[in-house]
Amino acid sequence: MSVLELSQVSRFYDGAAALDSVSLRAQDAGVLALLGPSGSGKSTLLRLIAGLEPLDAGEIRLGGEIVSSATRLLAPEQRRIGMVFQDHALFPHMSAGGNVAFGLNRLGRAARDAAARAWLDRVGLSARIDAYPHELSGGEAQRVALARTLATQPRIVLLDEPFSGLDQVLRAELREFTLTTLAETGTKAVFVTHDSSEALTVADLLAILKNGRLLQAAVPREAYDRPASAAAAAALGPVNTFAGRIEGGALATPFGAISAPGLAEGASASAVVRAEAITLRPGELAKLRSLRPHGPHDLAIIEAAGTVWQALIPPRSALGDRVDVTLQASGAFVFSD
Amino acid sequence: MRPDLALTESGRQAHAPLAPFALLAAALCAAPALAVVLFSLGQSEEAFAAGALLRDGALGTLALVVVGGGGALLLGAIAAWLVSFCSFPGRAAFEWLLVLPLAAPSYVLAYSYASLTWAGGPLPVPIEGFWGAAFVYAIGLYPYVFLAMRAGFAARHTSAFEAARSLGVSTSQLFWRVGLPLARPALVAGGALAAMEIAADYGAAHHFGLTTLSTAIFRAWYSHGAPVSALRIAAVLLLLALAFLLAERRARGRARFDAARWRTLSLLELSPSARAAAFGFCALLLLLGAVLPLAWLARLALLHTNVENLAAPLLNTILLAGVGALATLSISLLIAAAARRDNRARFALFVAGVGYAAPGAVIAFGALMVFGAARNAGLVGGLGAGLALMALLWTYVARFTAAGVQPIEAGLAQAPANLDAAAATLGANPWRRLAEIDLPIATPSLAAAALILFVEIVKELPATLILRPLNFDTLAVKAHAYASDERLLEAAAPALLIFAAGLAPLLILSRGISRAVR
Repeated sequence: MSVLELSQVSRFYDGAAALDSVSLRAQDAGVLALLGPSGSGKSTLLRLIAGLEPLDAGEIRLGGEIVSSATRLLAPEQRRIGMVFQDHALFPHMSAGGNVAFGLNRLGRAARDAAARAWLDRVGLSARIDAYPHELSGGEAQRVALARTLATQPRIVLLDEPFSGLDQVLRAELREFTLTTLAETGTKAVFVTHDSSEALTVADLLAILKNGRLLQAAVPREAYDRPASAAAAAALGPVNTFAGRIEGGALATPFGAISAPGLAEGASASAVVRAEAITLRPGELAKLRSLRPHGPHDLAIIEAAGTVWQALIPPRSALGDRVDVTLQASGAFVFSD
Repeated sequence: MRPDLALTESGRQAHAPLAPFALLAAALCAAPALAVVLFSLGQSEEAFAAGALLRDGALGTLALVVVGGGGALLLGAIAAWLVSFCSFPGRAAFEWLLVLPLAAPSYVLAYSYASLTWAGGPLPVPIEGFWGAAFVYAIGLYPYVFLAMRAGFAARHTSAFEAARSLGVSTSQLFWRVGLPLARPALVAGGALAAMEIAADYGAAHHFGLTTLSTAIFRAWYSHGAPVSALRIAAVLLLLALAFLLAERRARGRARFDAARWRTLSLLELSPSARAAAFGFCALLLLLGAVLPLAWLARLALLHTNVENLAAPLLNTILLAGVGALATLSISLLIAAAARRDNRARFALFVAGVGYAAPGAVIAFGALMVFGAARNAGLVGGLGAGLALMALLWTYVARFTAAGVQPIEAGLAQAPANLDAAAATLGANPWRRLAEIDLPIATPSLAAAALILFVEIVKELPATLILRPLNFDTLAVKAHAYASDERLLEAAAPALLIFAAGLAPLLILSRGISRAVR
């Protein structure tokens, strides 16, 4: 029995589908990551799982029990779930300790205070137990929010872009800390993000959403190596595209042919090539329009037969004005239109 | 079905146990206004024909709205422009001092100016009749326009002004080409508020002997004994007030007054003579709108106060306003908390807004009709003192709930958006969320709302006049009674106390705004 099961979940706003027949099964995955741009429906899906909004069709099961359907809605406070918000949502009129204790009101006062202290200790903030939210740094507030959520021992934790307000260094640090804490406490989690590298890093199971539809659900390696569609491929990093026809079992692009097993001869199709799957060396095929540093890679803009692609290549490559191009099979795909 | 599994419609939010209560409360607010419309449609067997009175009243109200409201618009817009964009001595102080005329209801200003300009008074200019009323409205209500325009100038368009200046728009053109177009919604919103006040005013119009819709209602009811005619006039006044409210809401929807985002613009340097003129203009507004009438009332009150005659009305006022404010506050909190959770409950806000737009006289007569109908049905006895006080409290709730909701909503809105969701996922049910999250967070704004409501009730005249039990005088009623008897010297003390009460919330509110600007 899986912790979380969505079947045919749909949600409409003013007639438009915010979520369109999304089915997902979290299996035994520790962290399910929902990846998508804003407006993709990922946050709506999280709110549906939490019971903060009703769904219009389909059903959601938690631990086998139907908690949301078109006719039934279990109140969020009765779902035994936890939620960590982008803005932390710490209660401004309560200390850090008070915030963590809030969800433990079924315990006696002494037990509640002890539990709150223990959880703050666990996230390394026992010294800040009396601090109020406005006195906490962004990272501290996030850790208090995490402690507050985990203290209630939810069967699943929903994290809504929990690190998006933080700077890069703190973000990586907190992400690691959160994943470790979740693993140590054996807590399952659903993690919403619009950052593809973050999604690939945290996910045991990765679900890619766009315009309210589920494009693909797979383990990260598979989602990256075997995207289900051009859109699913594009969701995990910069890609180049080229439209053409299948000839001789392959699609010929100006930068090289990509084999397309299983596609009908003469069918129109699209090539999708990850920017990091392009290798360049001095040569003749394409014009190198520009070459600039781009983080750990260099970004090369290449042009052939009027088509412009971008490639992420090792830094400080010595290239002339013209280059030859190799498309690595692991990052080059053909999809029929 | 288990009790914890609730049926839901496909509304945006799922759990809203407060919404039905909020809607009920809002219906309570709108009921008197609806009663006016309902009863005005009834058959009239009255010998008195309201046609001429209605026509004269409507013309009188419209003329005052155009002239008095136009004056308020002009004064408020100029003051807002000067304070928002120009550098001159005292600018920072005028930012909040210029709202002070709002402390006095129009009738208090009217009484003060009447005694100032009496034969033997210090001001030789006669302030009387139509032009006197228009002057009092303009000088007393310009702060509505001033506040709206200041927000409009400063709120979201700072970058538009900076862009215009970087594109070489000259400072003299800035007002006409950028400032005015951007602030036009604010101008409409502020003007509509001033118009609403003018249409609703009874005391000043009555004092200056004018026929307006408000005074016509009283005349039809009391002088001609024609309740249906009075209600018909009231219904017309109600529609007019609703039109102004709608104009204000529409305009404000386009230009939100978001104090949190206020930012002071870089100011224009003025020539020395222009600086003097700017200072003089603002100082004159402050002098005529607040300082002079206040000082004059204080002087008269010191000379002519009979403490014994004032004690009972003062006590009555404090009691009535205290109980009325608490009753209104609890309804306001219920509606504000429900509206925060559930979009459907926002309808309650709209319904309560109908009561807010309706002039006090309209609501009071509406409540009177409801009680009359209940008596005819044998549900209640005669309108004795107890029942009359209940009817009066009801009109206060109906009239001011929307005014109480505003500060509470603003207070709740300052809290992070997801607090309610966070508390829910931590296992707290809606009532625990209301008690432990919403209520503590709204406490400071509740105090502000209570003060605002208390003062509004202290200032309220027409409804109190209609529904107060026999011999139950408040400060407003007393001031009105003295002024009606041409005993302006004795009206000074109660008028002064009302003025002073009105200053308190203004000082607190405008300090809050000034802080937000910084």
